Amino acid sequence: MSQADTVPEQIAVKVDSVSKAFVQWQRKEGIRGLLKQEKKVVNALDDVSFQIEKGEFVAYAGPNGAGKSTTMKLLSGMLQPTGGTISVLGMSPEKDRIPLMKRVGVLFGNRTELWWDHPVIQSFEWKKVVWDIPDSVYRRNLERMIELLDIGGIINTFARELSLGQRMRADLAMMLLHSPELILLDEPTLGLDVVAKRQMIDFLKKINLESGVTILVTSHDMDDLEEMARRILMISQGKLAYDGDFDGLRNLTGNLTVFRVTTDGGRPRLEGCRLLGEEHGVFEFEADLSQISVSVLLERLSRTDGIRDVEIRKAPVEQVIAQLYESWRSV
Amino acid sequence: MSVKRYFKLLGIYAKMDLASLMRDRKFMAIVMLADLVSNVSSISGVFLLAWKFGGIGGMGRFEVLFMLAYGNIVMGFLNMMGGCNALFPSRIIGRGQWEHMFIMPLPYTVQLTVGIFPFTGSGTFLSGIALLFVALSNMDVVLPWWWPGALILQLAVSMVIVVALSYLFSSLAFYAPVQCEEISSTVIYSVERTMTFPLSGMPVYVRYPLLTIFPAGLTAWFPTVVLFGKTAGFECFYSVLFAALTAFTAAHFFKKGFRYYVKKGINRYVSGGHRS
Repeated sequence: MSQADTVPEQIAVKVDSVSKAFVQWQRKEGIRGLLKQEKKVVNALDDVSFQIEKGEFVAYAGPNGAGKSTTMKLLSGMLQPTGGTISVLGMSPEKDRIPLMKRVGVLFGNRTELWWDHPVIQSFEWKKVVWDIPDSVYRRNLERMIELLDIGGIINTFARELSLGQRMRADLAMMLLHSPELILLDEPTLGLDVVAKRQMIDFLKKINLESGVTILVTSHDMDDLEEMARRILMISQGKLAYDGDFDGLRNLTGNLTVFRVTTDGGRPRLEGCRLLGEEHGVFEFEADLSQISVSVLLERLSRTDGIRDVEIRKAPVEQVIAQLYESWRSV
Repeated sequence: MSVKRYFKLLGIYAKMDLASLMRDRKFMAIVMLADLVSNVSSISGVFLLAWKFGGIGGMGRFEVLFMLAYGNIVMGFLNMMGGCNALFPSRIIGRGQWEHMFIMPLPYTVQLTVGIFPFTGSGTFLSGIALLFVALSNMDVVLPWWWPGALILQLAVSMVIVVALSYLFSSLAFYAPVQCEEISSTVIYSVERTMTFPLSGMPVYVRYPLLTIFPAGLTAWFPTVVLFGKTAGFECFYSVLFAALTAFTAAHFFKKGFRYYVKKGINRYVSGGHRS
C-alpha cells in the first residue's frame, strides 16, 4: 500500500518532506566561461511539509523564484519531486494522474486552456467530451458559471478575441465544468484590472463557501490573498517560512500598525514610530504595537499641537510581507 | 477506454476541425486549392521524369505514379491523424504543450491519436488515393484477391516507420526542449522529400542506407516493389520486421526521455527548458 492510500479522507493535500532540485548552467565571463560552463543545483523546494484539509481556502505566497509554481506543478503531476511524498485527494499525482485529474482543476494565470481559434462554448463542449462529464452535470455547471462569472455575453466569442479579464473568467468557468473538489490556481489575478479582479475574488470565495471546493491559490498580490484566504503558506528560498493566518503573519514582524495624522502643517513628534511619508500636512507613521502600546501613542499625540485628525489601521499585508521578504533576504 | 468513447473523442476533434474550415468560405476554398496545388506539384517532378523516359530504373511510368501516390497516402494519413502535433512530438515538448496534456484525464497515447484534422488535413491523403486509382487503372497487372489486404498492411508498416522515426528523434527533445523543438519536422520533411525517389537501379551504397540508416526507402519505394512482386522470399517481411524494431526502440527511448523530463524538471528554470 502506498503512502498516498493511507491519507485520511478529510485531507485534500498532503506534502511530506518534499524537495525539488533543478540543475542550472552557469556561464562566466570570458573565453573560459564560454568553453566550460558550470552546473549549479537550485533547490526550488527544500524539505517542505504541509497539509490542506478539504474545504480550506489557502493562499500560497512567496517572493519571485521561491518555489510557488514548482509546488503547483508537483501537485498537478507535471513534475516529480526529488524527495518526499505528495498526496492529492488521497492519490499520488505521479501514479494516479488520470483519476486525479477528473477531480482536480488546474489553472495557470499565464496560460489558457481555451481553444484559441474557437468560440468559448466550443472549448466547453470539448472539455465535456474529454473529461467525460455527464450531460446533467455539464448543463447545471454551465448555467451556474454563466450566471456567477457573467460570461453569457462572451460564450460565443472566439477565445483569441477576448480581453484578459474575459479570458480568465472563461478559463475559470471551463476549469470548474467537471465539478473539481480541489482547484489549484497559479496567479489567477495576474494582469487583471480592478473590476475583473473583484469578480474573480468574489467568485472564488463563493464557490469555496457554497460548494466546499478546496482552493490553493498563489498570487503576488497579498491584499488579494488576504481577502480570499483564511490561511497562508509562505515559502522562501524553497523552505516553508510560515503557515498560519494573516494576523499571525503580521505578528511575525511585530504588530505593525499605521497611524495617519493630519495636522495644521507641523510634523508631530512620535518617538518609537517610523515616518513612512508626508503629503500636505498628512503624516503616515508605522508603529509596532508589540513594542509600544496604543495608549502611549495616543498620549504622545495628545501633547502635539495642531492635530486635526487621526486614523489608526493595521498595516497592509503587502507592507508586512515586504518587511518579511527583506528580512529573509538578509538571512 | 471503450471504442465508443474513443470515437466520441475523435468526433469532437473532427467537429472542431470542420468548424474551423467552415468559419470562412473563402478561406475554405483557398485551403483546398492550396492543398491540391501543393500535392500535385510535390510529385510532378519525379512523375514527369518517369513519363519522359518511359519509367525509371526498371519501374514503369505508372509504377512510379503508384509509388508517389503511396507516399502521399502515408504522409497524408499521418498528417490528418496527427493534427495536434502528434506527428511532431518534439514541438509539443519544446513549446511546453505537454503541460496541457498532464491535466487531461486521458492516457497520453489517446491524447496523441484523437486530435485529428479530417477536413483541413485530408488533402494529401485524398489526392494520394485518387492518384493510386489512376496508377492502378493504367497498369497492365492482374491483382490477386488478397492484394488490397497486402496494400493496407504495407501502408500501416510504412506509417509505423515514419511515426517511430519521429518519436525516436523527438525523445531528444525531453533533454533539450528548445534546441530540439523542430527535430521531428526535420525528420518528417526529410523522409517526405526522399521517399519520392524511385530507388530501382540505384547503386547499393545509395539504396541500402535508405533502407536501413535513414529508411525513407521503406515508406514508398520498397512497399511498391513488394506489392508488385519484384522482391523475393524473406525480403517481403523486411519492412515489417524493421517497423517492429524501430517502433520498439522509439517507444523505449521516448519513455526514458519522458521519465527524465518529469523527474529533472520541465520548466524555464532548466537550461534549454521549453518556451513558456
